[in-house]
This record gives sequence, structure tokens and C-alpha cells, in this order.
Amino acid sequence: MNRSRRNWNAVDAASLARWIVLTAFLALTGLSYVYLTLQLYHLGERKKALENEIASLRSQNDVVSAQIAALTSRTALQRRLKEGYLKMVPITERNIVRLTTPARSAEEDLVQPVANQTVH
Amino acid sequence: MNWNSRVRCALVSLAFTALFSAFSFRLVYLQIVKHEEYAGLAAEKHGERQIIRAERGKIFDVNNEVLAHNVPVETVVADGTHLNDRAAIVDLVSAGLKMPREELAEKFAADRRYVIIKRDVPTAVTESLRVQLRARNLRGIYFEHDATRIYPNGSMLCHVIGFTDFEHRGIQGVEASMEEYLRGQDGYRFIEHNRAGQEIVLYRGQERAPRNGYDVHLTVDLHLQDIVESEIDAAVREYHPAKATIILMRPQTGEILAMANRPNFDLNQRSQAAPEQMKNRAIIDLMEPGSTFKIVAAAAALNERKVNPGTEIFCEHGLWNFGGTPLHDHRPFADLSVKDILIKSSNIGAAKLALGVGEQKFYEYIRRFGFGERSGIELPGEIRGLIRSPQSWSKISITRIPMGQEIGVTPLQMTVAMATIANDGKLVAPRIVKSITTPEGKTISSFSPTIVRQVISPQTARQIGDALRGVVSDRGTAAAAAIPGFTIAGKTGTAQRVDPKGGYESGKYVVSFSGYLPAEHPEFVGFVVLDDAHTSKPELNYGGLVAGPIFARIGEKAARYLDLQPKEEIRKALPVETVAIGKAVAR
Repeated sequence: MNRSRRNWNAVDAASLARWIVLTAFLALTGLSYVYLTLQLYHLGERKKALENEIASLRSQNDVVSAQIAALTSRTALQRRLKEGYLKMVPITERNIVRLTTPARSAEEDLVQPVANQTVH
Repeated sequence: MNWNSRVRCALVSLAFTALFSAFSFRLVYLQIVKHEEYAGLAAEKHGERQIIRAERGKIFDVNNEVLAHNVPVETVVADGTHLNDRAAIVDLVSAGLKMPREELAEKFAADRRYVIIKRDVPTAVTESLRVQLRARNLRGIYFEHDATRIYPNGSMLCHVIGFTDFEHRGIQGVEASMEEYLRGQDGYRFIEHNRAGQEIVLYRGQERAPRNGYDVHLTVDLHLQDIVESEIDAAVREYHPAKATIILMRPQTGEILAMANRPNFDLNQRSQAAPEQMKNRAIIDLMEPGSTFKIVAAAAALNERKVNPGTEIFCEHGLWNFGGTPLHDHRPFADLSVKDILIKSSNIGAAKLALGVGEQKFYEYIRRFGFGERSGIELPGEIRGLIRSPQSWSKISITRIPMGQEIGVTPLQMTVAMATIANDGKLVAPRIVKSITTPEGKTISSFSPTIVRQVISPQTARQIGDALRGVVSDRGTAAAAAIPGFTIAGKTGTAQRVDPKGGYESGKYVVSFSGYLPAEHPEFVGFVVLDDAHTSKPELNYGGLVAGPIFARIGEKAARYLDLQPKEEIRKALPVETVAIGKAVAR
């Protein structure tokens, strides 16, 4: 019994535990780094997808705005008027009721010389 | 351990040490010594400075109606080093962009990293192409966001708005003059991409957001512009002039309310337009103004107190030999008051008024009215006009210039001169830009009226105004310019057309009318000029009969739009008597 105990390698449990914790910590740190890097990559991809989506929506919005501007432009409306899609009757002077004479102050037309502002 | 074992161990250790030392040295060499070189190579291969395009500002009229804006498009580009299946890509892109296969194959053959395949491709087309490329796992084709300029009103106000080149730089009109505000500032972003050319967002570097261009708001009112455009079109149909210009301006502020020229062009199809169609004749055409210029001679004489409105001037019964050269009136007149000289448009009377003022003083008044200098309007290419100094005048110049000969003015200068009379003698600088705002609507700069100078006294301006009211009456030369319900002040002009080879072209006239209404409180000044109008009879080719009625129609519609209240029931004036056209006669 004594003999066999004497042949055992003395294992320092505390030291072993320290190494295990250190190794585990390093492994976890490494894994976390890889995980977080992957997360950053995926978030980047998501960010890019969202940016593309915003750009696409903005682009669609601009296209629709352009269509609205084209359809409501004076030239387009006049074309529609000529084609008979719109009907407009000029207001005759007889049908205009003026409630008050437009008031004008004496200073209304005074023009002051000023310097134009500049863009900063 | 015996000696041999120790030696072997030492040798193995030494070998490992040497090996790892070599690796270490190599590592240090690559990472430190060659760092810059290899980092540069990597950046060149995988990194790029991506340009983020700024959006060009929009142009609006005074009521915020869009005159110029942008439509998103995309530029299709190829990276020759990323193309993985050229034949398939050529087939797909050729069908999608409707381009010849040969042209595409040629572009891909160069193996360059940046080849523009096609510009201004609609986003719907690129989206479809993008989906097909992705579905077939084809690489090497990329899409860059861009925008193309669209003008919703086509040819309306084309000379004022102008247009841009393919790099979105303004090259004419407000697009050019307001370039620094409209352009904006592109942003950038340093990116890295993988082997497939996709951006690795994780490695995004420094970036700067773009600053979109500012919006420009004009003083032009599109409704008034529409009135002017339809009337100038009607005039072109009726008289087939070589050129025509109409300008409306608010005299108190100098704001241009409308400006139209013929010939014109469609801004959305500018590549098909001839250079002659693109000229803004209101500011770049020289014309002899004819009798509209008599207001300058009369104003000078009255302001210098050489005469008063009632002073009688002997008009030589229609023929006056001065300096050995005859000067005609279109009708014989005996004694005419200064007021009647304008009403009847007597050349001899105007010449005698200028003679009374003297050459130097008369020249000074011409310059004070703004002739011979640029008005400073925010449009490119404006000319000064042609006013010679008295030192280079001939003996008879003093009698020809008052009737609008021997000088060259622009239609805008003539409008400004009439606005000076309407504005109690104050010359206000014309302007066409009202304000500049950010895309969010915050005002960056707002342009206020600028009085350049007091040209004549308010009393003189009123005296001239009184005479000009008489012009648009039964007694005057512009009865046809009258508008029922409103008092109009104006002056007709009929000048012989200058021959580029020298002298005047026979039977060709530049007819004009310049006026304002209501005469007692002017809301706008108008100038109508038709170069080489074709009338049914030669004696009808006359400012009062051609340009006057155009002004009247515009004035009537504009008064209705501006809600000007008719003061009283003023009958329509009777048509002016027809007159014979003689040589060297301006009316």
C-alpha cells in the first residue's frame, strides 16, 4: 500500500484546475471571437440588405414622384384638355364677385436696396 | 540518456529552431518589411473607393411647380476580371439592355476592371437583369445608382431652364448659372469586396455622406408663362416671324414673370435641337429697338428740364434734312408737344429732343437706362448690347439713335428701360431666381430686389407714363394694344431689319411693343418683339398692329389671372389708321 502510494505522481489539483480554467477561458474567448465575428458579418449582410431596400424604396418613390410630376405638369394637363379628358369653362367677369377691393399699403411697393445673402 | 541520444536531440532541436526561425524571419519580412507593398496589392484587388452620387437639386417656379427634377436610373458596368461565363453574360445582357452582342463582346474582351456598358438604364430593366444574373449565378456585371434629368413641361421655358450634359453639369440656362447650388457634393465610401465582387460590409472603411444639391426657385410664374407661350405660338402661326421674344416683368422688384422665345426646343429631346433653337434671344440677341427707344430721348429732355410735356416742337412737316441726310416721319406733322411726339411717334420730334439735350448728356441717359451693360440676370451668356460713345458718332447719329437706330439692345434691356418708367424712374435689376432652399425646404439664400439707380425723377417718369397712355388710345400708334377696363401705357416700335452685310434689309421689319398695366399702378411690364413678321399687307407690318394686339391678349389674360380689378368700363380703342412705310423710318 505504502509502496504503491509512493510510486504515484503527485498531481497538484489546484494547478491543474488553474490550467483547465485558463484553457477553457482561452477556448471560450476564441469561440466568442469567432461567434462575434460571424455575427458582425451577418449584421453587415443585413445592413447591406436594408440599405439596398431603402435605396430601392427611395428609387421607387422618385420614379413615382416623376410620374406624378409628368402627369400633373401644365403641358400634360393641357394635352388632356385638348383630348377632351378634362373640361374647363372660363369664368366670365359677370360671375366673379369681389367682396373687397384688394387693400394696398403705401409702403407695399417700396423697394429697399439690400445685398444678396450668400451660401455658407 | 547517453551521449548519442543527447546529440540527436540537440540536432533535432536545432533543426526545428532553424526551421521556425526561418518561418519567423519570413513572417517578419512579409508582415513588416513588405507590409506596404502587399497591403497595397490587396487593397487594389479587393478594395475600392465607392462614389455615392449626390442628387442634383430641383428647379421650381414661383408656385413650387416642378420645372426640372431627377429620375433614378442605373449605369450598367462590368468588371472584366470577375466575368465567369462571358458567353452567357453577353446573351443575357444583350437581350436585357437591347444592345448588339458584338458590341458587348468587344467591351468584355478588354478584360478591364471598369467598363461602362450602358448609361441611364431604367431601374425596372436593371432589376430584371439583376434577378436573372443572380438566378444563373453569373458574375461580373454591376449596377451603379445614377439619375437622369427630366423636364416635365417639355419645351415650356426651355431657354430659361437650360439643360445638363451627360455628366450632369449644367450647360445652359439656370442649370448652368446655378450650377454651384444645384450640383451638390458626391460622397464616398472605402469598401472591400470578396472574390465574387460582393461588398464585405464588415471591412467598410472611411465614408462621407453625399450632400444633395440645393433646390432653385424661380420668379417665373408658370401660369403667366403658359399665357405667353400660347400667345407667342399663335403669333408664330399667324405671322411666321424668323424670331420672336416676349418678356413679362414686375417693375417694382425686377422679377421676371415669364420669358419665351421662338424658335424653341424640347428639353427632353435636346439632342435633336439645332443651335439656333437653343438661343435665349431675350438676352443674347442684338436688335435695333426702333421707336420704343424714343422714351429715352423724351425722358432725357424732360429730366434735364430742356422741355416740359406741353412744349411744342416743330416737326418739319414730315421731312427734315439734317447733316445732308433726310429724316422722315411716317406722317407729316407741324408742331407737336413733347407728349404728342411719343403718342404720334415722330422721328423728327425725337431727334430734336435729343439735339436739345446734347450728345454727351444723351449718351449718359442711354447708359443710365441700362443700355450697353449687362443687367446681371442669373442667366448665362447675356450680352452688353452695342452702344457707341459720342466720340465715334457720325454727324447724324444724334438724330438716328433717338428713333432706335445705330444702336443694338437686347429685348431684356428694353423691358428694363420700360420698367424704369413704370417704377417712378428707379432702375431695378432684373432677376429670375427667387430663392435657394435645401431639399428639406430650409431657405439658404433669398434674393431681394436691388435698385441699381434712380435714372430719372419720379415726376419725369410720370410725365412719360402719361404720354405712353396716350400711345394706347385712339390718337396713338397702339390703339390695338388697349384692354377694356384697364389703362395701358406703352410704346410701339417698327425698325427696319439690319442686314448682316451692312445697311437694312428691304421690306423686313422688327416690330415690337413695350408697355405696362395698369398704367396707374403697374403690376407688370411686357415686351413683345417679332423679327421679320409676315403680314397679309406690307402696311400692316407695324408694331402697333402686330405686337400691340399680342400684348393686349397677354395683358387681358394676365390681368384676369392676377385678379386685377378693372377700374372702369373703358371702351376698346378704335383701330389705328394704316400708314405707308417709308425708308429709314422707325415708328
